[in-house]
Amino acid sequence: MTGTTTENPTRLKRSEWLQDHILYPSIGFGILIGLWALGGWLLALSPETSNFTKFGLLPTLKAVPGLISSGYIAEHVWASGYRLAIGLILAILVGVPIGIAIGLSKITEQISNEPFQLLRMVSPLSWMPIVVFVFPKWDQAIIFLITVAAVWPVVYATAAGLKKVDPAWFKVSKNLGASFRQLLSEVIFPAIAFDIFTGIRLSLGIAWVVLVPAELLGVSSGLGYAIKDARETLAYDQLTAMVVVIGILGFILDSFVARMVKRYSWQRDL
Amino acid sequence: MFGAIIARAFYSLFGLSILFGLWWYGGWLLESNPATMGFADFGPGPTYDAIPYLFGEGIIQEASITSGSRLGIGLLLAIVTGIPIGILMGRSKVFKKLSNTPFQFLRMVSPLSWEPIAVIALPTWNQAIIFLISMAAVWPIAFATAAGLAKLDPAWFKVARNLGATWLDVLKEIILPAIAFDVLTGIRLALGVAWIVIVPAEFLGITSGLGYTIQDSRENLEYASLAVTILVIGVIGFLMDGICLAAIKRFSWHHK
Repeated sequence: MTGTTTENPTRLKRSEWLQDHILYPSIGFGILIGLWALGGWLLALSPETSNFTKFGLLPTLKAVPGLISSGYIAEHVWASGYRLAIGLILAILVGVPIGIAIGLSKITEQISNEPFQLLRMVSPLSWMPIVVFVFPKWDQAIIFLITVAAVWPVVYATAAGLKKVDPAWFKVSKNLGASFRQLLSEVIFPAIAFDIFTGIRLSLGIAWVVLVPAELLGVSSGLGYAIKDARETLAYDQLTAMVVVIGILGFILDSFVARMVKRYSWQRDL
Repeated sequence: MFGAIIARAFYSLFGLSILFGLWWYGGWLLESNPATMGFADFGPGPTYDAIPYLFGEGIIQEASITSGSRLGIGLLLAIVTGIPIGILMGRSKVFKKLSNTPFQFLRMVSPLSWEPIAVIALPTWNQAIIFLISMAAVWPIAFATAAGLAKLDPAWFKVARNLGATWLDVLKEIILPAIAFDVLTGIRLALGVAWIVIVPAEFLGITSGLGYTIQDSRENLEYASLAVTILVIGVIGFLMDGICLAAIKRFSWHHK
């Protein structure tokens, strides 16, 4: 998916850069916040919905300092972040080698295609009942669900990246006396780093989707739990605050990976 | 040509039988260990035995149709809102700059975290689930449409105008054929995300659909029907993804 602009900031005038990266996003975000405030005001207006006014902008903003100072946000962000990180790392460690095997060998690709597509299209959360029996701890079950969901984009992006590698490069490096390890570190990885990061970006998006429902059940920590907790205690201001935290964190993580994708891109037209 | 198809079919069957073999082996391990014997119904044998009952009673068909209609409406709403948003982003630089940050933010709000709000805002759970699906599926479609438009060569519009094309002709003969590939790619991604979202969305508050069937079999310790449902979810997802992929190939004008 696209998102960030592709212009090189140093080539643009400073004022243009400010406009594109500060002014427009601020106005855009301002409109979103304005809509939120309007929604809250409409809720407060009607007596039927006045119970839900805490969903509005001002109550949420008022709830945020307390949630930060009590360590509530930090605690749940930490719990979710830990699960997400381990899940993603496992997905990368498993996915990249599988992707390389698929990308390099036509036979592996054909044998694995149907079983992998079938497994990929099993909605990850449907594994949950099984996973809970298999793993002694809920934490491990959640990490497994994240890994199972996040592994496929890494696999297929890695395989697609390898297919784009010019076979002549292998010949050239072999002629120059490169060992297999050198081939891997000097040719294959630099060539497919861009694709791997593109896959990781997709994986992150999917892992982020899976994380919240996985934490709705069984555990008492993490962002998903915080949402459920706020809902059950009717603390709607806390609920919207957590929704915003989830959005901001996801946005930051996604922007970071998008930067890595750009950093490792050697295809200039992208 | 014919030989290639045979080889393809052979490899597919071989791969699927490896998967089946692993499943069978897992079931055997469960069965042979006294501590896990209670879970032996996860294996392929008991799963196979449960199929006639589940299909005979219409449980699977009903759940599939219910989930399918939620998915269909949710995706349709996502397409109907996503394509115009994508066209706006692709055609207007100002709109793109304004909307990029808020849209990326909304995209990265995990869809299920809207659930409590959706349940309160919408009168029925059914609508809440459809809303969650649309909320998850709209972004891949919008961003793919915008990316597709960005690739359009401005010269095509000039040529079309010089040849006397009306606004409708430009839309029908240039824009839609050119971006069909990207829109379908976006729909395929959206389908993948929607398929992930629908199961947990059906875990709560509702008594129909594939997610509910998973939840129900788990609570009643009916592991064989749980395994059947997982299999059905995989097969339906596989078929839908395959249809999307075939449509993408059909509308692709990028010759490799």
